[in-house]
Amino acid sequence: MSSLLEVSGVSVTFDGFRAINNLSFQIGSAEMRAIIGPNGAGKTTFMDIVTGKTRPDEGRVIWGERSTNLLKLSEAKIAQAGIGRKFQRPTVFEDQSVYENLLLALRKDRSAFTVLFYLCSADDDAKVESLAEQIGLTDQLERKSGELSHGQKQWLEIGMLLAQEPQLLLVDEPAAGMTPDERAHTTDILREAAKTRAVIVVEHDMEFVRRLECKVTVLHEGSVLAEGSLDHVTKNQDVIDVYLGR
Amino acid sequence: MADTAPHTGARSGRKRQSFIAQNPSVLVFLLILALFTLGVTFLSEATGNAYLSTSFVKTLGKTLCLCLIALAMDLVWGYCGILSLGHFAFFGLGGYLIGMWLMYERTKGIVVTSLAQGELPATPQEITDAIGTQIFGVVGGSEIPIIWYFADSLFAQLALVVLVPGLLAFVFGWLAFRSRVSGVYLSILTQAMTLALSLYLFQNDSGLRGNNGLSGLQNIPGLDAVPQASISIWFFWASAVALGVGYVLSAWVVSGKFGSAIKGIRDDEARVRFLGYNVEGYKLFIFTLSALVAAIAGALYYPQAGIVNPAEIAPIASIYLAVWVAIGGRGRLYGAVIGAAGVSLLSSWFTGGGAPDINLGFYVVQWTDWWTVLLGVGFVAVTLFAPKGIGGMLDYVMVKAPRDRHGADFGPDQGSKREQEE
Repeated sequence: MSSLLEVSGVSVTFDGFRAINNLSFQIGSAEMRAIIGPNGAGKTTFMDIVTGKTRPDEGRVIWGERSTNLLKLSEAKIAQAGIGRKFQRPTVFEDQSVYENLLLALRKDRSAFTVLFYLCSADDDAKVESLAEQIGLTDQLERKSGELSHGQKQWLEIGMLLAQEPQLLLVDEPAAGMTPDERAHTTDILREAAKTRAVIVVEHDMEFVRRLECKVTVLHEGSVLAEGSLDHVTKNQDVIDVYLGR
Repeated sequence: MADTAPHTGARSGRKRQSFIAQNPSVLVFLLILALFTLGVTFLSEATGNAYLSTSFVKTLGKTLCLCLIALAMDLVWGYCGILSLGHFAFFGLGGYLIGMWLMYERTKGIVVTSLAQGELPATPQEITDAIGTQIFGVVGGSEIPIIWYFADSLFAQLALVVLVPGLLAFVFGWLAFRSRVSGVYLSILTQAMTLALSLYLFQNDSGLRGNNGLSGLQNIPGLDAVPQASISIWFFWASAVALGVGYVLSAWVVSGKFGSAIKGIRDDEARVRFLGYNVEGYKLFIFTLSALVAAIAGALYYPQAGIVNPAEIAPIASIYLAVWVAIGGRGRLYGAVIGAAGVSLLSSWFTGGGAPDINLGFYVVQWTDWWTVLLGVGFVAVTLFAPKGIGGMLDYVMVKAPRDRHGADFGPDQGSKREQEE
């Protein structure tokens, strides 16, 4: 199976602290992957590198069929290439309606002049409607997103990610602060998404990871400690020592 | 999901809604502006009623121009979160560029008339020399500098009114935004830009008459026979039209998807970047656009003021501009207009000797001195008690109670006071 994203031998150092240490990782084009690890294991830094926020000191990040080198692209170009990212804290545009948030994220030409003369077509309108249905916010389309509950904001952000139609979704702690019902809904959205694209979920909560039923990568001190099914990695002695045993 | 939203609110960015339906305030604004213009016209000396003096009509016309630059400031600061403290540089440049034509043509008219009384017809070289001496004698020169090359052509000079400030804004913005300079640092850079420009223009050899500036701009070449009363009302109309067009243009830019994108940049720049938008390009576009609007406002302002000099583009002018917009209310176009009109008219009332002095027995409060203190106190009061400005207070009176964006910054800059998330 050819991989969609291939990270190899990446290292990054912040003021002498090695946040990522010779990390290698790959994921296929329609695959769900959970990344777990203790605090400071480099989970967020890993996402920063893939999305172009942080430049690694060494290593390669290769993307897609045409083997694009992501390290040479800007954040905006990486997003346009098909990598969407959801942040830990829900970051939606609170001052704007759910509809506007989704419309802004919709996969379209992003150049300033095109956007300036943009008129919403019936087609785009329908796309926004169907996205809203997918994330359960149909009734909230006209509300300002700042008024939504925490869980709804998380879904809206996932909806904005889906609107971008990315080939790879990077999701940072989607279930944080959610009620059990909301968690179940979130799991459904993510599993549905993973049927057609790659999804990487960073999560602390083991119960949530178990429900995703996917391959798990354990990070520790900036490199991969173990990889495999959840049952497999939880039996691994190293993993128990550094993470689960505590 | 216990609560369901009311379905009455207008959905922004929807195709089936016309621009006016999305922005009802545009229609209201244009109506008020039209009524105001009609009213001033009928009360002015130009129509023979003379309830308003010509100089007051000029003050009102100038105020409309200040409202226009406040709109530009609101575009760049209120909507895109770029606190530019240098927009009066563009305003002043616009004034200088139109002033060059006004001064050159008028001097040429005078020179040609006086040389025509000589025995021999004047050669073009003699005319040029005489114009040079007339204009630049005050700074001890007689050569016409190369930057006055187009001063003889109204069309070219009008083109320069938009081209020069536009280019300056584009180059400055490109350098600043590309290096991801933002927040306070960008504000300081814009202050430096306007200070540098003003210091340069203060020099006698800058080619723009040093600290004398350009004067006599109220005399429009070719209209010598027309009384100032008529000219003042024409400029008032032109300013009103420019403000109206500027308002519609601004409302169009900030509605729809583009507006959505720049408001997103204001609230969370990184998020917009990760959505795949080229944030720098958007900032550059809005910065340059607002500079163009500011330049046009300046080109209309200074013929009414009669004089433009380097003190006009000193850093303090641009800071006042930010104060007007903050007092009027950011992120709502009419707020900028209310702030600029209210504060600048009050300012000319207080500093022009209109306000009576207050005798405290032991000390006489003279408003010419104390107006800045009053303005400062007013600004602090607005920041503390009405962070959304006068426009924000209007919301409570006129529209349904607005919902706050919880957890968001009160201001567009990092480090500004942040509301607690519930």
